[in-house]
Amino acid sequence: MLLCDFHIHTKYSDGSVGLRRTVDLFGQAGFDVIAITDHVVNGDNPFGKLANRFKFSVTGESFETYMSDIAEEAERAWDRYGLLIIPGVEITKNSFSSDKSAHLLLIDIKEFIPASWDYEKIFLEAKKQDALIVACHPHRTSDKTFVDTLFLWNNRDKYARYIDAWEIANRDDVFNVISLKKYPYIAGSDFHKVRHLYSWKSLLNCKKDMESIKQCIRSNWGVAITLFRN
Amino acid sequence: MVLFWVLVVLVFFGLVIYGLQIVAVRLALSPARNREGHPILSQSCPPISVIKPLKGLEDNLFGNLESFCLQDYPEYEVIFSLQDENDPAYKVVRKVKEKFPNKPISIVIERCHHGFNPKVNNLFSAYRLSRYPMILISDSNVMVDPHYLRTIAKPMDDPEVGLVCNLIKGIGGKTIGSIFENLHLNSFILGNICFLDKYLKIPCVVGKSMLMRKRDLEAVGGLASVKDVLAEDHFIGEKIRGQNQRVVISNYLINNVNEYWNLRKFINRHVRWGKMRWKIGGVKYLLELTINPVFTACLPLLLFGLTEKTIFVLTLVCVIKIIGDFYLGRCISTPTHPSVYLLSPIKDLLMGVLWFVPLADDTVVWRGNRYLMGKDTRLSLCSERGAEWKTRILEGIKAKIAW
Repeated sequence: MLLCDFHIHTKYSDGSVGLRRTVDLFGQAGFDVIAITDHVVNGDNPFGKLANRFKFSVTGESFETYMSDIAEEAERAWDRYGLLIIPGVEITKNSFSSDKSAHLLLIDIKEFIPASWDYEKIFLEAKKQDALIVACHPHRTSDKTFVDTLFLWNNRDKYARYIDAWEIANRDDVFNVISLKKYPYIAGSDFHKVRHLYSWKSLLNCKKDMESIKQCIRSNWGVAITLFRN
Repeated sequence: MVLFWVLVVLVFFGLVIYGLQIVAVRLALSPARNREGHPILSQSCPPISVIKPLKGLEDNLFGNLESFCLQDYPEYEVIFSLQDENDPAYKVVRKVKEKFPNKPISIVIERCHHGFNPKVNNLFSAYRLSRYPMILISDSNVMVDPHYLRTIAKPMDDPEVGLVCNLIKGIGGKTIGSIFENLHLNSFILGNICFLDKYLKIPCVVGKSMLMRKRDLEAVGGLASVKDVLAEDHFIGEKIRGQNQRVVISNYLINNVNEYWNLRKFINRHVRWGKMRWKIGGVKYLLELTINPVFTACLPLLLFGLTEKTIFVLTLVCVIKIIGDFYLGRCISTPTHPSVYLLSPIKDLLMGVLWFVPLADDTVVWRGNRYLMGKDTRLSLCSERGAEWKTRILEGIKAKIAW
């Protein structure tokens, strides 16, 4: 089984650990696959403007550098650790209200997709790029400082057909609604700090290459989750 | 007033010992070189079985294990030993083995409950599997360069040498716990090992790296003789010395990679090590506080308040300690930023406070298990009754300071 984490932030957005150190942290711990998914924040509201102002977001201008740095690290990580690194982003649509907020991972993205686009447009563009679409922390979390992101869950009838998988576990939270609804699932750490290495992860029973991984998640056969502890 | 000067004399004594430790480290690190000025390496290069007991993820684990597969040595094998295939270290060691398919690497997984020391339990199966007459027991948080085996095998060319161990250098500190750990390893631990070896001829065996002949280990009872003691490294050294064989501390510094420790882990380790030294050394442990000049320099401040004299003494000692630790760091070529040494006095003060804990508590928690530690660090199951009142007091204190 491949030990995976598909939800990781670095200093390219609001993570506290730089890209290289993040890669080494996961590589040294024996991970097989990780996705770097820094925030792309919508710039059309005060949250987004602040995030862009303080460089907590990947932007259209920085996207090329972001992708080339990930590619460089991916080569190094593969040689050193046999660790597959997948480039991605977390489309971050924040609002004052939980019901209007949504985060979604686009894994194996090729070209920049702005978070200010409407959902349908984002989904169609991601499909065009053959990126995996994952709904992050789709239900209520235990973190009282965090504004929950319920929009996709509340509108699942409309958008579930676009979403390849839902986070059934994120860091220390488990969202049982995903299993009740029998939606395809993965787990991720929402890594921002070193200690988040030890949290919920995904286990995939497939080959260690991009297409096999995406196929495994989409079909959701051979997917398990584990609470990774030392 | 008399008490003040008594304390000042104590501080001065501590500084003198500290100075002698620095000299001892310099002497210890003077490399043995041949006429051409090259380090002397082993000529005979006997085959070595490297045994690495693993439990859980250590900082830089992949890099640490990988470094043992890159040795420039003619004949050796590496045996990684685990107790459980669900141990997260198993995945890492499998990747290391896959990366070096042509190297003689074995992984053995066997649950063993021979004794109370979990590290020794983890060594039995690997020892049984080892092919060569010489074994090197090496911890998983150790990283070395390719000349390591050649360098430490050299003293074993002398048949009177029964065991070779290494000086340790802490590197990689990225959090406060690991910074404190590395500062402590690179000053107090290193200084005391060198001081005891150079001046008192007492070689202090640290189990991170121990090279010995199998026949010598078996002559003193083998691993079974240390299965129930926590300080198995110390007692293996003592037993081998008891056979009129020398224990040599190699001047090859092994890297002990400590990157992401929190303060709790640092405190737990050094309370445990303090308890071991108390059980082994007895009265000698009481002298340890006198060789912590920062802590003893705080005593006048505590007793007499903020006066010119007390502030002067403490400031002077802190400055000397910072400079001394910085110098030691340069001697052993650590990549530590100079500003980190400003934390040395704080670390020493904390160690001074922790010094008292072993006097009040016999329990140790190691690798997730709680034990009672008796004389000579002999372990036994921690009966709830025996530890109850001490545990309750400690738990109460922890709850108060929201541990």
